[in-house]
Amino acid sequence: MTQPQPTEGNVSSKPLPRSGPRGEVTIYATWCKGCRICVEFCPPKVLEMGPLDNHPRVAYPEKCTACHFCDTHCPDLAIVVRKLE
Amino acid sequence: MTDHILEAHDLENHEALIPPSNWFERSETLQKLRKNKKFPTIWCAGCGLGVVMGALIRAIDHLGLKNDDVALVAGIGCTARMPVYMDFNTLHTTHGRALAFATGLKIARPGMKVIAIMGDGDALAIGGNHFIHAARRNIGITALVVNNSIYGMTGGQYSPTTPLGKVATTAPYGNVEPPFPICELAMAAGATYVARSTVYHALELDKFLTEAIAQDGFSVVEAVSYCHTTYGRLNRLGTAADMMRALKDNSIAKSAYDKLSPDEQHANTKIVRGVLHQNNTRMEYTRMYEQQILTRVQSV
Repeated sequence: MTQPQPTEGNVSSKPLPRSGPRGEVTIYATWCKGCRICVEFCPPKVLEMGPLDNHPRVAYPEKCTACHFCDTHCPDLAIVVRKLE
Repeated sequence: MTDHILEAHDLENHEALIPPSNWFERSETLQKLRKNKKFPTIWCAGCGLGVVMGALIRAIDHLGLKNDDVALVAGIGCTARMPVYMDFNTLHTTHGRALAFATGLKIARPGMKVIAIMGDGDALAIGGNHFIHAARRNIGITALVVNNSIYGMTGGQYSPTTPLGKVATTAPYGNVEPPFPICELAMAAGATYVARSTVYHALELDKFLTEAIAQDGFSVVEAVSYCHTTYGRLNRLGTAADMMRALKDNSIAKSAYDKLSPDEQHANTKIVRGVLHQNNTRMEYTRMYEQQILTRVQSV
């Protein structure tokens, strides 16, 4: 399994691959039960399952478009997406 | 890593697993949750009930209602655990009697927004009588019926909404009873707002719940959910994500359904989403009770 490059904070310093809205995803691990809904449905594939446990992690934060799919569909309200200005 | 980013794979760092004190302030949804409650919820991993809870909170938040102006009434079951986690007035009642208690509450406090949260068995089997009579009276209660096609909490017995032929623990050779169409039943009984959506279409559910709570008379919102632990396992429907994807594929918007020919509509097996019925001409029960009875009693 390829490890994603560690990012500083939640916002990558890499140049933006596109224009448009961007978001910051925060996953609250103690509320998460690892149902994989956010990972399987995320349209730009920002999230992926962590390598060591049954929780998702923000693997590619620069791809987030703040579509709010994950935080509206998280059954445990463990995700908060903040739209970046 | 900034302090608010909690990555679960960082298990060696136990401080990362302690909730930050400002967590509830980060989202409007989280502010309406009960602060002193143990989270996560008791529901199975991936259960759609959490999505419905989020939609209900966002709907109440969108209407700008104060927490004390809303009362949530629930019976027994997985769905009826929902008010436990929310910071409103709550009433926890016996099985199927959520609408009965809600009727009493609404008559005593007509200004309060009363929402009865029921599962499919709670609303249609044990409390089926209360459901049709609340619709007949047109009392200003919002009935949120979460339909997961089975009795989940008690171990997967078939319910009044289990589809024909599907397996349950009490129907190992397939269910032979046709299911109750919740929305059509509510329409026939006289509800003034009837809408149906699924947990995949969570933002649509927000919209329908907002309209239903704002509606004067009896309003019914059917939230089609799934039970992957009992129903999904017995019928080999896959994981929670698979069942949520099936809701996406097996549902059709009402606007698209209306454009189908009558033959195609007849052959349609998909879930029709949308506002199925709205009638603003009927008078609400508590207002009629006040006009017709209370004023006359007080004048005697």
